Amino acid sequence: MHDAFVWMALSFYALGILLIVPSVVRRRPSLSPASLGALGAGLATHAAALAFEAMRIGRLPVSDVRSALSFYAFLVTLAFFFVYLRYRIVSLGLFMLPLVFLLTLISALHPEASFDSSSFRGGWLLVHIGSIFLGYTALFLTFVAAVMYLIQERELKSKQPRGFYYRLPSLKVCEELYYRSLLLGLPFLSIGILTGFVWASRTWKGPWEFDPKILASIFTWLIYLVLFSNRVSGGWRGRRAAYFAILGFAAILVTFVGASMLSGEHGYIPKLREIP
Amino acid sequence: MNLTLLGINHRTAPVDVREKMNIPEERLAEAVADLVHREGIREGMILSTCNRVEVTACAGDEIDAESVIRRFLADHHHCDLGNFTQFFYRLRQEEVVKHLFRVASSLDSMIVGEPQILGQLRQAYATARTVGAMNGTLNDVVNQALAVAKRVRRETALGSAAVSVSYAAVELAKKIFGGLQGKTIFIVGAGKMSELAAKHLLRSGAASILVANRTYDRAQELAAAFHGTPVPFENLFERMAEADIVISSTGSSKAIITRPQVEKLLSARKNRPIFFVDIAVPRDVDPAINALDNVFLYDIDDLGHVVDANKKQREREAVWAEEIIQTEVQRTLKRLASREVVPTIVALEERLNQIRAAEMERYQGRLAGMTPEQREAVEGLTRGMMNKILHGPITELKNGAGEPESATLVKLISRIFGLAD
Repeated sequence: MHDAFVWMALSFYALGILLIVPSVVRRRPSLSPASLGALGAGLATHAAALAFEAMRIGRLPVSDVRSALSFYAFLVTLAFFFVYLRYRIVSLGLFMLPLVFLLTLISALHPEASFDSSSFRGGWLLVHIGSIFLGYTALFLTFVAAVMYLIQERELKSKQPRGFYYRLPSLKVCEELYYRSLLLGLPFLSIGILTGFVWASRTWKGPWEFDPKILASIFTWLIYLVLFSNRVSGGWRGRRAAYFAILGFAAILVTFVGASMLSGEHGYIPKLREIP
Repeated sequence: MNLTLLGINHRTAPVDVREKMNIPEERLAEAVADLVHREGIREGMILSTCNRVEVTACAGDEIDAESVIRRFLADHHHCDLGNFTQFFYRLRQEEVVKHLFRVASSLDSMIVGEPQILGQLRQAYATARTVGAMNGTLNDVVNQALAVAKRVRRETALGSAAVSVSYAAVELAKKIFGGLQGKTIFIVGAGKMSELAAKHLLRSGAASILVANRTYDRAQELAAAFHGTPVPFENLFERMAEADIVISSTGSSKAIITRPQVEKLLSARKNRPIFFVDIAVPRDVDPAINALDNVFLYDIDDLGHVVDANKKQREREAVWAEEIIQTEVQRTLKRLASREVVPTIVALEERLNQIRAAEMERYQGRLAGMTPEQREAVEGLTRGMMNKILHGPITELKNGAGEPESATLVKLISRIFGLAD
């Protein structure tokens, strides 16, 4: 059942994304009901897929790469809906949803069941993983807002408005989206990392502090902390802050995917090797 | 349907002719009433703006509405229209429908996409309605034109981008600051252009205004006009940190706002963005500051580039709009045409019903002995035959509506079935 629903979700996402294109090209003030409907159906079938998997293994399906990517894609779609309903940015979907499609595709192409491990049961870990995922979702939004800011800023500085000038929101809106998502993402990331430390110190033996994934996530966290404190103190705005947000998300990718290959304890190794 | 439109506009007639033909608003109702009381004219509407004067009429089938309108205009303006013939265009039938749709959607305007024309058309329509000059085909067409204009507005971005320099400044400010609510404008060097730009910005919601000028009196004068604050020229940079938008147009021969000064401003503003509009020639602001983060600088040529790009966008959107109008014209014509055959269909049905009733009447005596069920069966039988015979001609009439042979078909069917005209 799970696989069938994932494929359905994937098709709905693809349809939804394709239907956004004409609205963006023709500069409609809002998305068409058809594209919103397709994306909503994608979200619903995706939720069903996750629910089936969760019932089968008896917990949140996030413990291998495939399920984790799928779950993350789901959260990003959910975030898209929240942001769209608040800001009505028609082009937003084209920045956020290709990632959703890609991640769902990867998880659909690897239909092996997620493995079950007793170490993934328990409250601390649920809080750890849940917070990290919410944090990553919000910080992806920060990244998207930063990219939109940089493109719009470039259009304005070039003084020769082209397509993006008409289709992207104002710098103010990019900046607001950027700051709000950072404000939301950073606490979740912090909680996630702290609970991870607590859990690791209780469960793991040996020098867990040197686990590559843990080191990478501390580095990521520092980037966002610097970004946040400089923003609050008033120093960082505009281009510089946007570049840093992009750096931060690159660090997340390294933590999420890259360091997992080297990490001894984060369990993704056997699964990742199978991804072509 | 017999629609005729006679008109002049900014492309066909110079301003003095348009002036002469103009019908002022206060006399419009009286004029429309005069028009529709003329022989054969059923409906009428007059659209009179500074860029166009157009008289539209729906007349009886055999009426030469064009000459009626010509006579009406000549009477109204007490002049011989012969001198002005070359300025007028005359449209008929579907041309009228298409033209009204394009006018309503602002595709025929001097500045394509400008929003005023829709209001003017709505006004002309309302006036015509109040004097009872709108009750049939033309009423439908104009109503549809208003609906099409709304659709064009909704589905294209035809009217969204600024096409004048001072509006371009407002549009750019909105691209930077989102809205203009609560923003402070600083006018440096009072002049016509900066005054105009400030006026647009204030109307778009900007909160307060500062004015600095070499001669302090002039600064005070302008500040008073905008309920703003005059600033002595020596204090220019002390107050500039408060401003989100700086409009500069002094007569200075070299740049007065330089990069080090702007860098200082930025740290005072904690890097909040600042937008410089430099409309002075020679320029007041050092172009190098555009490279600074959170600083945006547009000079008069840059604003011109934005206007050009926006115009190109409008042209692109106009193509979409023309497509919408094309489909809407077809749909409207189809509907109007199907209304044309309705009287024939009704007459046909009545004719056959008459025959049936007469025959039932004739056999009244011989059918007397039947039970109610049998009577009902005979009723049903005759009605069924009638409907089967009607089916063919009615379908043909409906399908043929709007096609060139429709009129022939109507005549032929009327003749065959002996329908009165």
